[in-house]
Amino acid sequence: MGYEWDFAIVFRDFDLLLLGLVNTLKVTGFALLFGVPLGLVLALARLYGVAIIRVPVGFVIEFLRSTPPIAQLFWFFFAMPLLLDIEIDPFEAAVITFSLQSSAFFAEVFRGGIASIDSGQWEASKALGMERNAQLRRIILPQAIKRMVPAFMERAIEVMKTTTLVGTISYADLLYEANSIAEETYRYLEVFTVAAGMYFVVIFICSMGVRHLEHYLGRTGEITTG
Amino acid sequence: MTNVLEIKKLSKSFGDLKVLDAIDLTVSKGSTVVIIGASGSGKSTLLRCVNFMEIPSAGQIVLQGDLIGSGTGESMSYSDSELAKMRARVGMVFQHFNLFPHMTVKQNVMEGPRTVLKCNTAECERRADRYLEKVGLGWKADAYPSHLSGGQQQRVAIARALAMEPEVMLFDEATSALDPELVGEVLQTMKELADDGMTMLIVTHELGFAYTVADRVLFLSEGKILEQGDPEAVLINPKQEATKNFLRGHGSFRLPEPNLD
Ligand SMILES: Nc1ncnc2c1ncn2[C@@H]1O[C@H](COP(=O)(O)OP(=O)(O)OP(=O)(O)O)[C@@H](O)[C@H]1O
Ligand SMILES: [Mg+2]
Repeated sequence: MGYEWDFAIVFRDFDLLLLGLVNTLKVTGFALLFGVPLGLVLALARLYGVAIIRVPVGFVIEFLRSTPPIAQLFWFFFAMPLLLDIEIDPFEAAVITFSLQSSAFFAEVFRGGIASIDSGQWEASKALGMERNAQLRRIILPQAIKRMVPAFMERAIEVMKTTTLVGTISYADLLYEANSIAEETYRYLEVFTVAAGMYFVVIFICSMGVRHLEHYLGRTGEITTG
Repeated sequence: MTNVLEIKKLSKSFGDLKVLDAIDLTVSKGSTVVIIGASGSGKSTLLRCVNFMEIPSAGQIVLQGDLIGSGTGESMSYSDSELAKMRARVGMVFQHFNLFPHMTVKQNVMEGPRTVLKCNTAECERRADRYLEKVGLGWKADAYPSHLSGGQQQRVAIARALAMEPEVMLFDEATSALDPELVGEVLQTMKELADDGMTMLIVTHELGFAYTVADRVLFLSEGKILEQGDPEAVLINPKQEATKNFLRGHGSFRLPEPNLD
């Protein structure tokens, strides 16, 4: 009881929190930038590759999905540099880890989206004389991606939340900054309340954006019947 | 008369199941051939082998004098790009229309010319306008397929196939998925095509339609052409017992000529 809230201290260091947020968004953004296309490549390899590609790719996807992200992060930050005799900074390690980790999940989203398209769409485009690449590019993916928007968004938000692990390798993301401010000021309650609020605002705005996007994409009427 | 399509000793098996058994068939330019037969007799498979939606197990397909694939009749080999080019020369209309739902009617019709034939935009538009007009749906150019009736969707699918300016058109039960009151408009469109001299290979259960438009009717049974001839010969005076049985089944309940004046 009787706890005296004091946000003044938090807001004195608010620029640090904002910097942390920017770093969080940076890692998340890069992870998505690489993870989504890589996910598509993995999905296509798993769906249409020859066995010698399909099987290892399937294994990699399952491996990335079935190991804790923090173990992957540590591996890329501490183990890989030893193995390859290179230097890597926390940001690079984080981007590599979360790109790969999210690509495995995005691959499954892509695969599910592609598989959900009615076989008649493949048939009709094939009958017109399209080859597989054209079919995917013009007919299948545009429809699949529309259906995947909600799953994508969920995944992207998941990526953002998972990036909070980067603090463990001393990358100054939002949570890391919050933690150091809290340890300095002992204002744990205020600091983490504000930090959580910042995550919430960003994710909430994204969700709203996606809802509008879904509505916009749904205007041709097929997304709801899908 | 030149032959648009020659099918030679075409066989197709799925595993142990022999669906088509050494079918021979030639379709001359401008003619309309209707294929009838019981469910499972291989009608769809025959049609789908013509444009290599299914790869024949044996036999040859010759389109306007071009043998598709290479090898002897018993074992042919095909390249993907050769088959894609071949399919572009053959129009196919499906039971379930399969329009592209993310494109407008006009974009659906332009898609083949644009992506496959690499026509320029003006040419794509010209074809879309022309063939949508032909099926009577120019006024729906900007609608999305989901906002059309089944009959309208099927007519768009016909326009989409026509826009490729194919050498032959294949119809696989194009009206079977339609509500009865929408069947007529699609059959009418198909009849107009036949009258225009389009070469057509049609699978249908609409025997009245077959009787009216066909130059030749084939009765398919157990993967073989059991009986063929002009509509009068096959549909009115069938010789084979299987054909008679099939027609009996179709004519169980018949309306006398309704008085519609
Ligand atoms: N892809 C396939 N794999 C295995 N069997 C198949 C395949 N396609 C068709 N068949 C079988 O081949 C036979 C002929 O099928 P087909 O679809 O050609 O018949 P159909 O004459 O068109 O019948 P319907 O009037 O019901 O459409 C059937 O026994 C069917 O089960
Ligand atoms: Mg069939």
